[in-house]
Amino acid sequence: MDGIKSFFSGFRAAASGLSAERARVDVIARNIANAQTTHTPDGGPYRREVLRFAPILERLGDGTTRTLGVQVTGVERDAETPFERIHDPDHPDADAEGFVLMPNVNTAREMADLITAMRAYEANASVQENFVQMAERALRMAQ
Amino acid sequence: MNPLETPNSRLLLSLLDASAQRARVIAGNVANQNTPGYRRQVLDFEDKLREALSRGRSTDALAAIAPSVSEDLLTPARADGNNVNLELEMSAMRQNRLMYEMYSTLHASRMNLIQAAIETR
Repeated sequence: MDGIKSFFSGFRAAASGLSAERARVDVIARNIANAQTTHTPDGGPYRREVLRFAPILERLGDGTTRTLGVQVTGVERDAETPFERIHDPDHPDADAEGFVLMPNVNTAREMADLITAMRAYEANASVQENFVQMAERALRMAQ
Repeated sequence: MNPLETPNSRLLLSLLDASAQRARVIAGNVANQNTPGYRRQVLDFEDKLREALSRGRSTDALAAIAPSVSEDLLTPARADGNNVNLELEMSAMRQNRLMYEMYSTLHASRMNLIQAAIETR
């Protein structure tokens, strides 16, 4: 019979989903805020950030694995999406030919990712609600 | 026979337990709905039980059947290698909760019957 500790491990799995999705929303906010940043300390325009997610797995004695949640294993710079090159001779970061390299942030794409992250956040919240209802039900058995 | 420890009550408790475990498996899937390469996990118990019942095994043998977690390799994956379908998980979660409520109601009514038997002495 499973104890109360493992009953709440599902609750924690949903909590890890909530914080991972929140981290994604934070990254999206940083990307959108820097959609026009053409000058960074590293030189060149802002490169959009992407999060790397990985499952938290527990290996059981019989060789199977059980998922305990999700974790953010790293924030990386998107090196694949190219910078946009626009013609704006008045821009302070324009080169000799009048071209400026703009960040590789596509606002429409970020907004679409934002909606995905928000829906995922809501789904994790309703999983938690589900555990609350199950726990209440289990408590009522004792009455 | 001790009315609190019959094969049926043990079966009911293991169904309750499997249902609580399945809720955790679903929570793990929902948490990883955006993890590239993640394969959804499923908990198998009722099917095993049904198969054993159809072979006419005794209730004592049925109590020995344990739930097992495996990866779902049949559901097709998205481009990022993840095969979590949120609608599927959320409806599995609801269905699982209803089953949990049903098992707990059955268990509670068994307990009420025993309680009534004790009180009418």
